Amino acid sequence: MLSHWRKMTTQERRDAKTGYLALSPWMLGFAVFYAFPILATFYFSFTQWTLVEPPVWIGLDNYIRMFTRDPLFVSSLKATTLFVALSLPLKLVLGLILALLLNLKIPGMNLYRTIFFVPAVISGVAVSLMWIWFLQPDTGVVNTLLSYIGVQGPYWFWDRDWALPSVAIMSIWKVGGAAIIYLAGLQNIPAHLYEAAKIDGANQWRRFWRITLPLLTPTLFFQLIIELIDAFKIFTEAFVITKGGPLKATYFFLYYFYEEAFRNFNMGYASALALFLLLVIMSATVFVYRTSGRWVFYEN
Amino acid sequence: MEYRSNRKLLVLFSLLALLLLSVGGAAAQDPVTITWWTLASAESPEPAIRAVVEAFEAEHPNIKVDVTIMAESAYGDLMNTALGAGEGAPDIAYFWESPWLPHTLDITDRLEADPDLSRDDYFEEYFNNWATWNDRVVGLPFTVGANFVMYNKDVFDEAGVDYPTADWTPWDYIEIAKALTDPDKRRWGGDRPRGPFRAIWRNIGATKPYSDDSATVEGYFNGPDSVAAYTWLWDLVDSGATPTPADIEVLGTEGTGPVDLFIAGRLGMATLNNGHMITAANAGVNFGVVPEPHVPGNERYVHAWALRASIWAGTEHPDEAYEFLSFWAGPEGQRINMEIGALMPSLPAVLEDYPDADSDYFQGFMGVLNGTQTAEWRASHPCWRGAVIRAVSDAWDLIMLGEIERDEVQATLDALVEPAQAALDDCVPRLGG
Repeated sequence: MLSHWRKMTTQERRDAKTGYLALSPWMLGFAVFYAFPILATFYFSFTQWTLVEPPVWIGLDNYIRMFTRDPLFVSSLKATTLFVALSLPLKLVLGLILALLLNLKIPGMNLYRTIFFVPAVISGVAVSLMWIWFLQPDTGVVNTLLSYIGVQGPYWFWDRDWALPSVAIMSIWKVGGAAIIYLAGLQNIPAHLYEAAKIDGANQWRRFWRITLPLLTPTLFFQLIIELIDAFKIFTEAFVITKGGPLKATYFFLYYFYEEAFRNFNMGYASALALFLLLVIMSATVFVYRTSGRWVFYEN
Repeated sequence: MEYRSNRKLLVLFSLLALLLLSVGGAAAQDPVTITWWTLASAESPEPAIRAVVEAFEAEHPNIKVDVTIMAESAYGDLMNTALGAGEGAPDIAYFWESPWLPHTLDITDRLEADPDLSRDDYFEEYFNNWATWNDRVVGLPFTVGANFVMYNKDVFDEAGVDYPTADWTPWDYIEIAKALTDPDKRRWGGDRPRGPFRAIWRNIGATKPYSDDSATVEGYFNGPDSVAAYTWLWDLVDSGATPTPADIEVLGTEGTGPVDLFIAGRLGMATLNNGHMITAANAGVNFGVVPEPHVPGNERYVHAWALRASIWAGTEHPDEAYEFLSFWAGPEGQRINMEIGALMPSLPAVLEDYPDADSDYFQGFMGVLNGTQTAEWRASHPCWRGAVIRAVSDAWDLIMLGEIERDEVQATLDALVEPAQAALDDCVPRLGG
């Protein structure tokens, strides 16, 4: 690094200084708001800390508890993974379908796009309260509509088998946000490719399968990473609607972390849980990134 | 020459005297500023808070109160941060979390020496449960809150059912609820409790989930009294006379109790609180108040609460902080809050002047305030509220969902003893018993 600096010309050094100066606000923000808290979390994960008393070093006890004698750790991880497995494909596929519809050339499309995007910016708490009403077993909109076709709707959030799928179904509410990203990807696909395919006699399905989908894979890859991280962080719905129940069916990992940190004053253990979640998300992201070479296509 | 030198000396002395006077004067007049973190609510709104500060400062010109009115959501985080850091905490605040208690100033001697205020001025149970800790006075109870059963007299009259009286039992509650239930009118007889080991649990058999020394779950959580209380809950749910959790969640928009269902006449009885009582009275509901039912021969418990107004142990102005604390949570401050807001003071002599104090329902409420509080047990066991209740919540859920039979209650509780014991063993070394 130092030898590289020495080899630089005066102009290059000046440019480098300017560059670092321009970067410094971000670097400072990263150091103060990300790097330091992560390092502090790492330290606290080896302590017993009630927040209001000084932390006490307990070595690996938190990790030993986590991996050997904490049934909630296992069940919350299971619930979260199941939620990711349910909601992620749902959001990716429905987001894409919605984007394809929003890409049609029909009058009033900007209005439709706005309408579908609005839910993505509404507060999670407000959305949760609204879904409680939608899915109320006796008087909710969904079960009332189902009753018109002779179907007895389930108890949704209040049924141990349906609670988690209900939260996953809820997540499609924000699919408009993903659709806007897909839409940007769709509009970047050169029109001449479709024209050439049409001349060659490719039907709509083949054009989608051979042109749209491959050229959309970079956007799909981006969405997959973002939605994956977001799904692992599921919290608000459990906090507002189900309180982790019934029978801990929606006791998600982040909700467990919250309860340990702020209800049980067990900040040391909560730090260990947070680091574990970071590791899980990082591993899943790295896995997706490593496999991307096989299915993500770039035009050039 | 001599004249000039004398004049110089005179000027010098005059300047010195002026300087001394100004420094001394400033020292005598500079008021001490104390900091106070508080919350605004319907009972104690911001105008009442400001009025108390104004009245106090008028009476104590040497003390200034720097008040910060916070959102409840931020309050806990800020208190945790300040107390954890050991600096930056306010001189006075509400210390409602158990782990905050070691950071309160012991005001036992100050209160005893206070000619204007004494512990006897407060409701005894509220003072004992909310102002004392480890035999020390760590604050003053501000306001009173309690749960009790409100019954809609019109619904009772229509169903031809006698009003409940203070000697009713938990099983009477179920029978009355059944008699009041009318599916055609979409009306339930009574609501269901919002958690175990509150008043009904204790009224059935002084039930506790574990021993007083926080060591043993076996024989307590799954003991005969606890089984009787959970079986009572099973009977209530099975009766169909009470709304499901989904009904309560959606139709009862008030998170602390289904007061809106009660006001609408869709619930004949509901376990509500004094805030709800005023709401129902303002809505013109014809209702009465009765304590939660209990088993004759057992002590009657009431689920009650107050705000613990305390002085931070790290304060640099303990005397001035005490002056303000005793004003805020004393007769003057609570009266101002009662008159401007809707506060129900923790001092009987002030509460008697409440605008509706002569009404039947208010008298019923006053009767509840002297009951033995569940807080006697709950407040001294911080592990119950977080770790242990989570470990045993499956029993509650299984009954609420109707997933177990009546004769499976005992086995269900037995199965949860082990996780409850593990949660207790993990929590007690950290937070205490």
